[in-house]
Amino acid sequence: MMQLPAIDYAVLAPLIILVATGLLVLLVDLVSRQAARNVLYGLGVAGCAASFAASLPLSGRTVTTLSGAFAADRFSWGFDALLLLTLAVTFLLSSLKRAEDGGSPGSYAALLIFCTVGGMIMAGAANLIGIFLGVELLSLALYILAGTGYPRQASQEAALKYVLLGSLASGFLIFGSALLYGAAGSIALADLATAAASGAPLFVAGFGLWLVGIAFKLALSPFHTWTPDVYEGSPLAVTAFMAVAVKAATFSVLARFIYTVFQHDSAALIPVWALAILSMLVGNFGAVRQGNLKRLLAFSSIAQAGYIVLALSGVGSKGLSTMLFYLIAYGFMNLGAFATISLLGDGGEEYVDIEGYRGLFFRRPWVATWMTIFFASLAGIPATAGFIGKLLLLEQALGGGPWGIAMAATLILGTLVSFYVYFKVIYQMFLPAQGQAPQFAGNAAASWVAIAVGATGVMLLGIVPQAFYLAQPYLAAASR
Amino acid sequence: MLLNTVIFLPLAAAVILLLVPKGDARPAKAIALAGAVATFALSLAFLGAGPNASAQFSIPWITGALPASYHLRVDGISLFFVLLTTLVSVPAIWAAFSYADQRRLRGYLFLLLAFETTLLGVFTAGDLLLFYVYWDLMLIPVFLLLAGYTDSAAARRAAWGYLIYNGAGGLVLLLGIVGMVAVTRTFEVLGHSFAFSAAAEPWLFAAFALAFLIKTPVFPFHGWMPATYTQAPSPVVAMVAGVQSKAGLYGFLVFALPLFPNAAHRFAGPLVALGVISVLYGAFTALGQRDMKTLVAFSSLSHLGLVILALFAFDITSVPASILMVVSHGLIAAALFLLLGFIEERTRTRDLSAFGGLGARAPRLQVLMLIAAMAALGLPGLSGFAGEFLIFIGSWQTQPVATAISLLSVILATVYVLRVFQGAMNGPLSAPADARITELRPREGWLVAPLLAAMFWLGVWPAWLNDRTPTTVGSHEAQTAVPHKAQAIAESKVLSGLLGASETAR
Repeated sequence: MMQLPAIDYAVLAPLIILVATGLLVLLVDLVSRQAARNVLYGLGVAGCAASFAASLPLSGRTVTTLSGAFAADRFSWGFDALLLLTLAVTFLLSSLKRAEDGGSPGSYAALLIFCTVGGMIMAGAANLIGIFLGVELLSLALYILAGTGYPRQASQEAALKYVLLGSLASGFLIFGSALLYGAAGSIALADLATAAASGAPLFVAGFGLWLVGIAFKLALSPFHTWTPDVYEGSPLAVTAFMAVAVKAATFSVLARFIYTVFQHDSAALIPVWALAILSMLVGNFGAVRQGNLKRLLAFSSIAQAGYIVLALSGVGSKGLSTMLFYLIAYGFMNLGAFATISLLGDGGEEYVDIEGYRGLFFRRPWVATWMTIFFASLAGIPATAGFIGKLLLLEQALGGGPWGIAMAATLILGTLVSFYVYFKVIYQMFLPAQGQAPQFAGNAAASWVAIAVGATGVMLLGIVPQAFYLAQPYLAAASR
Repeated sequence: MLLNTVIFLPLAAAVILLLVPKGDARPAKAIALAGAVATFALSLAFLGAGPNASAQFSIPWITGALPASYHLRVDGISLFFVLLTTLVSVPAIWAAFSYADQRRLRGYLFLLLAFETTLLGVFTAGDLLLFYVYWDLMLIPVFLLLAGYTDSAAARRAAWGYLIYNGAGGLVLLLGIVGMVAVTRTFEVLGHSFAFSAAAEPWLFAAFALAFLIKTPVFPFHGWMPATYTQAPSPVVAMVAGVQSKAGLYGFLVFALPLFPNAAHRFAGPLVALGVISVLYGAFTALGQRDMKTLVAFSSLSHLGLVILALFAFDITSVPASILMVVSHGLIAAALFLLLGFIEERTRTRDLSAFGGLGARAPRLQVLMLIAAMAALGLPGLSGFAGEFLIFIGSWQTQPVATAISLLSVILATVYVLRVFQGAMNGPLSAPADARITELRPREGWLVAPLLAAMFWLGVWPAWLNDRTPTTVGSHEAQTAVPHKAQAIAESKVLSGLLGASETAR
C-alpha cells in the first residue's frame, strides 16, 4: 500500500481558504445570476483577508509539508502577503464602473483568485513539480484574464499572443525540469545542489532550459517580446495584477532555486546576470519611444525585473530581504500608478495615451501629485520606496564581483534613461492644457483606496525604511 | 529644533499657500514672501555660534547593517551656504510675483519654496545619505519650473538637458556613495576618516567629483548650463545660478576632500586644469554672446572655474577664499539675473544688439545694474574683488602657471561686463517696437537691494566671513573621531592635512 504523506493543514490553510473563496464566488454567481459584481469582488477581498489571517500564525516559522514539497517560511510568507495585497487591490480596480470583466464577473473573480493561488504555490514550492504546478495554474488563468476585454481587438490579440508564447515557455520549463530530474535523480531543489556542484552537462542543459521558461514569465529580455502587447491589450486591472503578482511569484521561484541549488557558485549564474543587464537596457531604452502608458509600464516592468535580479548577485544573507524590499516597493508604486490611471477613466481604457495627460496638474492637482510620486518612485527619486530599493540593490550588487559591478553600472545607466521615460509623463501633466481639455472626470472611491494603499507604501518605505526592517523577523529569511 | 524649523519653514509656507483658494493671488504672495523672509531671519541665528561651533540635530534614521541618521548641522562652512540660500530666496520669490499668468502663480511659488527647502537640506545634511536625498530632490522643482512655467520649445529642451545632466551626476554620486559605504559601513561619515584601498579611492573620488563638477558646472560638464540659465525665468535662474550651483563646491569641501584626501591630491593637477580651461573658455565664449542671459551664464562658468582652481591649489589662503568667492558669486549672479529679468520684461528681448540706452529712461535701473556689473568684474570695495584677489594670491603659491593664465580672465571680464552694461544702459535709447521702457518699480528696486548691500558688506569687510570659516575645515570633528590608523588622523584634518602635505611638497 502506498504511504500517503502527512499533511499539515495549518500550513496549507491560506491556500485552502483562497481556493474555497474562489469556489464560493463561482457558486454565488451560479445560484444568483443577479449578484452585483461588487458583491463577488467583496467576497474576493474578504477571502484575501481571511487567507492572510490564516497565514499570520505561520509568520516567522519555517515548516514544510507534503514530504517537503511545500514550504512555509519567512520567505514565502512575505511573498504571500504581497500577492494577497495585490489581489485585493486588483479587485478594487476591477470594481470600477468601466472596468472590463468579459461580461462574467463571477468567473473573472474566480480566475483572479486561482491565479493568486498559483502564485502562492510558487512562493512555497520546494520541488520542480510544485514550481511547474504553480506556474501553470497562474498562467492558465491569466491567459483567459488577458482576453476578458474581448470586445477590443487588442485584448483578443493579447490573449492569443500570451497563450501561444506562454505555452512555449511552459514547454521549456517542463523540459528543463525533466533534464534536471535526470541529472539529479530527484525533483527536490535541495537534492539538485549535488548535481549543480558536479557541473554535469545534463544539469547545465536542464538549468538553461528551465531558466528560459522562468525568464519568459519574468519578461526578462530577450524573452520579453510578448510583454508590451499583452500589457496593452489586457484590461487595466489585469495588467496591474500581471505587473505585480506574476513578477513577484516568479521571482520567489528564481530566488529559492538559486539560493537552494547554487552554493555561491556564480559561474553557472552568468546567464542570469547577462539577462538582467540586457533587460535593464532593453526595458529602459524601449520605453523611451512609447506613447501609450500601458506599453510604457510594460517596458518599465522589463527594466525593473532586470533591477531585481541584482538582489541575487553576490549570494549573501541580505539578498533575499533586498529582493523582497524591492518587490514590495515595486508592487506599491505599480499598483499606485495603475490606480491613478484607472481613476481618471473609471477603470476604462480612456487615459492610456501619454499626450492625453497634458495639463492634468491644473485640472486634478491631487491625482497629478500622486501620479508624480508614483512615477518618481519608479525612477528611483529619493524619499520614495523606489530609491531605497535601488540603494539596497546597488549595495548588494557591488559585493558581487565583476558581474555585480557591471550590473550596478547598467542599473545606473538604465535609471538615467528611465528619468526621461518617467519624467515624460510628469512633464505632460505640468504643461498648460491646450485646446479641448480632457474631462478627467473619474473619481471613484475604490480607486482612491487603491491610490492610498500605493501611496502609503511608497512614502512609508521611502521615508521610514526602518518600517521594513522592523518587519524583518517575519520577512525573507536571512539564512538559507 | 531651529535647524528643522529653518529647513522646513519654506516647505510649510508652500503647503499653506496651496490651501488658499484659487483666484486671488495676493494671499498666496503674502504667505510665500513671509515664509521666505522668516526663514532668512531665523537663519541669522546661526551667526551667533563661533567659528568652529556647530548647531546639531541628530536622530537615528535607518538602523541595522548600514546605519544612517537624520543628522543636520551648521558649521563654519555650511553657515554661509545656508545664509546665501535664505538671502537669495527672498528676492527670487518676490520677483516671481510678476509672473504673467497669475492663476498659475501658486504652483510657481510652491515650487520655489520647495526648492529652497531642498537647498537648505543639502547644505545642512550631516549624513551622506540624507545629503544625497536632498541633492537628488533638488532636480524636481527646477525641472518642473523649467517645463511648466516657460513657454518656448527651447525652454522645454533646456528642462530635459537640466534633468539628464544633473540626473547623471546624481546617479554617479549614488554609485560612489554605495561604493564608499561598502568600506565605511555607515553613511555618517562626517568628521570620521576611513582607510580606502588604493585601488578604490580614485574611483570613489572620481564619482563624487563628477557629480560636483556637473553641478558647479565646470568645463566640459557644463552642457546643461547655458540653455538652463538662458531659458529659465529669472527668479529660477537666480536660485539655480546663485545658490544651487554652489552645492558643487560645498560637496567638495565637506564630503569629497575629507573622505578621499589622497585621491584629491592625485587629481589636483587635472582638476586645476579643468578650472583654468573653464575660466578661459567661459570668458572667451561670453565675449561672443548676443543674448545677455547666455553671456552672464558663461561669465558664471568663468568665475566658478576660478573657484575650482582655488580649491585644488590647496593653499591656506586660496581654500577659504574659495568660500568667499562662491558666496560673492552667488550674490552677484542672483542680482544680475534678476536685473536682466527686469530688463527683458521691458525690452521683450534678450538680444543685446536689439536695444540700448535704457539708462535714459530708467536711471535707477542703471544704478543698480552698475553696482552688480562692477561687482562682477571685480571692482575693489565690492565682494567680487575680495574673493578673486585672495584666490589669486593664494593659488599663486602652489599653482603659479595656472594662476597666471587665469589672471587673463580679469581683463576679459571687464570687457564683457562693460559690453553688457554700456550696451544696455548708456548711449541713445533704442528698443524694439513692442518694448515699454519704464523706470524700475519700487518693488523691483527693493528686492535687489539686499543682494547689493551684501556685496558691499563682503567687499569692505571680507574678514567678517573669513574669520568665521575655519581654516582647518572639518578638523575639529575629525579630532573627536575614532580613526582607523594614525596615518589617517593626519589626513583627516582635512584641509589642514591637505595644506600640510602641500607645504612639505613645496
